[in-house]
Amino acid sequence: MTEERKSLVFSSPPDDVDAVHEFLETVWAQNPGVSEFERMAFETALIELASNVIQHAAGVTGVTCVLSVTADENGLAATLADTADEGGIVLLDREMPDELSESGRGIALIQALVDELNYERVDERNVWTITRAREEPGEG
Amino acid sequence: MEFTTEPVGDDTVIVRGDGRLNMVSGPVLRETVTKCIATGRPRVVVDMSRIQFMDSSGLGALISCLKSAREASGELRIVAPSSQVSMVLKLSKVDSILAPYDTVEAASGAEQ
Repeated sequence: MTEERKSLVFSSPPDDVDAVHEFLETVWAQNPGVSEFERMAFETALIELASNVIQHAAGVTGVTCVLSVTADENGLAATLADTADEGGIVLLDREMPDELSESGRGIALIQALVDELNYERVDERNVWTITRAREEPGEG
Repeated sequence: MEFTTEPVGDDTVIVRGDGRLNMVSGPVLRETVTKCIATGRPRVVVDMSRIQFMDSSGLGALISCLKSAREASGELRIVAPSSQVSMVLKLSKVDSILAPYDTVEAASGAEQ
């Protein structure tokens, strides 16, 4: 087992999604076995999730998030726990909106890029989990 | 992220950025393009070759710029998107309205 788990705590404001990008760079540096495509897909999904959380908390009192990412032979997983009020983001199966729409793609993109997207309310925190199974060589 | 603009011909502008196109830089792109259109350059070429990453907020900004350009009888074209940007365009099913060009010259010189 070569599991590697790393965590990041960030608050918005003043932090933004750049904190998540920088954190992921350290995760990738420690997990060189994760392919370029896997990184790209997972990072895109995680940034969409973090952006949603930050955006929905904006204008209220801000939000603090604890993010942890696990990379192992099964694939990639991230858990994001935030302090925002419950129910800010609705997780339904989303269709991609009309091509000229300027918003509404975030959740649909996450769903297209990960195997699982889950939400639960735990101890006054919103807890989001995404997982993406590692692709076998030659697959996809 | 800041964007630079380079006027070309009578009505075209090339917009370049270096970094990530997201909820932070998207509004800056919108503002930059709005100014270009207001000064009579509704044909907008966005050089994406140095945009390493784009999320759905960044894409929303691009589409907003595209609509503004079209309203001014112009167009918005993108050049040389990274593999991550191409993936987002494809998954978002907007690759038909934002079909990438290989070079700035092709995007700014091709017939509408």
